[in-house]
Amino acid sequence: MALPLLVIGNKKYSSWSLRAWIAFRHLGVPFEERRIPLYQPQSRAEILKYSAAGKVPALVDGPLTVHESIAILEYLNETHAQDRLLPRDVPTRARIRSVSAEMHAGFPNLRQNLPMNLARSPAPLALDDATRAETLRILSLWESLRVEFKDGGPYLFGAFSMADCMYLPVATRFHTYMLDLTAYPRARGYYESLMGLPAFQEWRQAGVTEKEVLPQFEK
Amino acid sequence: MPVPLLVIGSKRYSSWSLRPWIALKHLGIPFQERLIPLRQADTPARIREYSPAGKVPVLVDGDLTVHESIAILEYLNETHARERLLPRDAPTRARVRSVSAEMHAGFANVRRQLTINIGRKLALPALEEATRAEVQRILSLWEGLRAEHKGGGPFLFGAFGMADCMFLPVATRFHTYGVDLSGHPGARAYGEAMLALPAFQEWQGAAMAEPQIPLLDP
Repeated sequence: MALPLLVIGNKKYSSWSLRAWIAFRHLGVPFEERRIPLYQPQSRAEILKYSAAGKVPALVDGPLTVHESIAILEYLNETHAQDRLLPRDVPTRARIRSVSAEMHAGFPNLRQNLPMNLARSPAPLALDDATRAETLRILSLWESLRVEFKDGGPYLFGAFSMADCMYLPVATRFHTYMLDLTAYPRARGYYESLMGLPAFQEWRQAGVTEKEVLPQFEK
Repeated sequence: MPVPLLVIGSKRYSSWSLRPWIALKHLGIPFQERLIPLRQADTPARIREYSPAGKVPVLVDGDLTVHESIAILEYLNETHARERLLPRDAPTRARVRSVSAEMHAGFANVRRQLTINIGRKLALPALEEATRAEVQRILSLWEGLRAEHKGGGPFLFGAFGMADCMFLPVATRFHTYGVDLSGHPGARAYGEAMLALPAFQEWQGAAMAEPQIPLLDP
């Protein structure tokens, strides 16, 4: 039987793609990947071959195509990942989905002003108030969840989950733009756990060697 | 045991709030609601009494607080709604979640240019290219799903579910601004079916009885 095919964008820039990819790789789920460099003349037509929504990531698994990173994670959890992206207990599942959805649809200023760019030399940027407020929301969320779940493992809710896949690109932004995490020791420990994932190191190695430079993500 | 409490914003303007509310009401699940009028001086503080994320809707169920409309729908599906918001088969669940997530995080131009205004009829603004593309994507998505699932019921995937809750606010936007649906008969019938839901009629009646909020109304 053919392996699931994950269609992704540039590893240097595509934070959405990283979310789905890290789940496969960290959990050791076999898959194939196809990289489509974004914002090139053929990008849109190439993506539309796989996904009518015209966006990456998209997962093609037999006759099924799943788009949107969070929906791919839910599908993986119910199939290839065998319930390893969400815990069994219903209230914790709900809380993981809340913070995952908050990331999926929110933090527009952070995404706009601090784009993921794995090849950029780390250096701080001046943040406007809205971006700062979003980073503080994320840090206080991480801090309190890490206090609550500190005995269950190094991830946001203890064991690795969907929420970690969703927030990993934020951790890379904190690294790239050198946010000061000293007031949030547990959030910082979590950030270090994410950045140290072997699967992420592999993604980053590939990302920094990509040739394409997209000016809209170079700040 | 107390029934779950759904904290919502103004019914005229809170498209996010409508999504879990319609699920609870359409499925006949007992719940309490608390409406916090939007854009008032005390609105942020009142929302933060329930949710550290500072956003509506929020569902409070005993000790648990769930925020984000799509996460509330997932929670309801696993608890009070007894799996009536997602089908059983994994591939269809995945497709329902894909289009629901696409709505949750996307269509920014539709949301910006066709602002929600339940119960009013407003002139269609000149749609930007990006907005037109999003409208076309929504209509072709609806049209395709309705053609595929027409034997299973009048909703997007046949039976009522999470995707319908997510897209209902879009149907109200198309109605408010009179977006031309004539090239998409299946999509038009779907939008009309959504707006005719008794639960939505109840929401709309309450919305129209609310005072207008100038900051949110042209």
